[in-house]
Amino acid sequence: MKDLIRAALAVLIVSALLMWANAELGKSAGKAGADTITVYNWGEYLDPDLLKEFTKETGIRVVYETFDSNEAMMTKIQQGGTSYDIAIPSEYMIEKMKENDLLIPLDHSKIPNLKHIDPYFLDLPFDPGNEFSIPYFWGTVGIAFNPELLDGDYDFSSWEDLWDPALRQKVILVDSAREVIGMGLNSLGYSLNSTDEKELDEASEKLATLAPNVKAIIGDEIVEMMQRKEAAIALTWSGQAADMMSVNEELDYAVPEEGSNLWFDNMVIPKTAANVDGAHKFINFMLDPEVAAQNADWVGYSTPNKDALDLMDPELVDDERYYPDEEIRDHLEVYRNLGPEMLGDYNERFLKFKMEMN
Amino acid sequence: MAGTGKGQKLFLGLVFLILYAPIFFLIFYSFNSGGTMTSFESFTWEHYAAVFEDTRLIMIVFNTVIVALLSSLLATTIGVLGALAIVYMKNRKLRSTLLSLNNVLIVSPDVIIGASFLILFTALGVKLGFTSVLVSHVAFSVPIVVLMVLPKLLEMSNSLIDAARDLGASGKDVLTRVIIPYIKPGIFAGFFLALTYSLDDFAVTFFVTGNGFSTLSVEIYSMARAGITLTINALSGLLFIVTVGLVLGYYALNRRSKTLFTGVKR
Repeated sequence: MKDLIRAALAVLIVSALLMWANAELGKSAGKAGADTITVYNWGEYLDPDLLKEFTKETGIRVVYETFDSNEAMMTKIQQGGTSYDIAIPSEYMIEKMKENDLLIPLDHSKIPNLKHIDPYFLDLPFDPGNEFSIPYFWGTVGIAFNPELLDGDYDFSSWEDLWDPALRQKVILVDSAREVIGMGLNSLGYSLNSTDEKELDEASEKLATLAPNVKAIIGDEIVEMMQRKEAAIALTWSGQAADMMSVNEELDYAVPEEGSNLWFDNMVIPKTAANVDGAHKFINFMLDPEVAAQNADWVGYSTPNKDALDLMDPELVDDERYYPDEEIRDHLEVYRNLGPEMLGDYNERFLKFKMEMN
Repeated sequence: MAGTGKGQKLFLGLVFLILYAPIFFLIFYSFNSGGTMTSFESFTWEHYAAVFEDTRLIMIVFNTVIVALLSSLLATTIGVLGALAIVYMKNRKLRSTLLSLNNVLIVSPDVIIGASFLILFTALGVKLGFTSVLVSHVAFSVPIVVLMVLPKLLEMSNSLIDAARDLGASGKDVLTRVIIPYIKPGIFAGFFLALTYSLDDFAVTFFVTGNGFSTLSVEIYSMARAGITLTINALSGLLFIVTVGLVLGYYALNRRSKTLFTGVKR
């Protein structure tokens, strides 16, 4: 009995020591008692040094948490029990969160740095007048490929290139219904927000003929597979392509001319926010050109901050693969929230497509 | 096992190789200056330095350990009392019902436990964070402790208790000086099993974390979604070394005072 009590005491003492150490660490990370904000972001999507700088500048401590999908993020916010002050969802999720009344309207007078954002990225259909959201990063959906692993000269300026019989078992697709069905629609010249059953049927049929060329349909592992030369061609997002290229310089990225998806991740203030004022300060801080430039450099996606571009490596900014000019952008479409019914239809078609693979 | 032949030794070696190779592969690349696990460039400590510089990561490691220690301590206390109650219950029907309910919790998937806790906490208005994680960890550890302690209690002969009673022991004496020392190995086993369950639990924790509180498994998961960085390797390497150290320490302690864990009354 004595040993048991002694062991239990030891456990309690160790826990207490660790708690004390944690409190001390928390203090050194930011000023004790200062107000805090909680930022809920995608993993590896913000330069941690900037959080420290924000604390130094404003005295507000940042609690940083990460999520891995728009859906998981929305569930956590909807369930309550959390107090996220900033979240960074993609555009279609913002429409959905607006419908569910999960967002707090922004006070633009507290965000003077908004003037640095390229007007092209403001006032978009998913959030007219930027009432609820401020663009954070943007990018495209396209084809990453490794010319060294391909016989022949491909530039993937057309989706049609993917259907080339010579590319048997060479293409990997990202495991995401909107991207894959969207590619099918785009390759036929239709809108990737199509709700026309006939167009969707055509796209499904077209996709089914791609089956012999598809090697795999996977998630984030795409990046490593491309880096390790285990695959030659991948349907992916521009940021992931940038990740791949930072390790394997043989790789290239192209956005086909028929059109593709243009996406945005945006900063919003969820209804659960406890420190709305601090959240506005954080948004304003992130829009500062120097901060935005440093962040874009660290993350590797494209920034919508036009004044930050002047501070960045010109070689990167002039790279049409990451910063396509407006003419190309006009071919691109932003996802619209199609409603649960249509989304279910997309998902079902995608599932059927995946089943046809086997 | 009478006489291990060459073939058997070879097989054993192979099994251990397969079990440990991934871990050593991971640790090997934690010293890679190249930044990926594709090719080894040169030796560096930089990823280990990155672990220690990242205060958030260290706080998460501490949180994980605190939750594991406290939840297994609480679960052991509750579990031992529960096992005692089950064994010394007069009503046979109630007893077998309780035991089945306990076993159902062990086999039910973590995802369902996690989801139901999330619903419960939100319904009660409990803020997600340290408390919610601790409570749910206690909950899934209790059945394990019960299961570890129960066999010890069942194998204990009733005449031990009768003898103690004959010699004038009070109810309290019987519990603290006869029963508990006898089942001590079970209690320790239950505690350590609960500890390991809590340390590596992902599914339940994933649902009930929030408000800046996170444990290691959940954090590594969200880090890995964005591509494995070698910081994860370095951290895993450190944890592996600490675990090996703990196991060695446990054996050293065990050898020195055999009585501590074998439960022979001193």
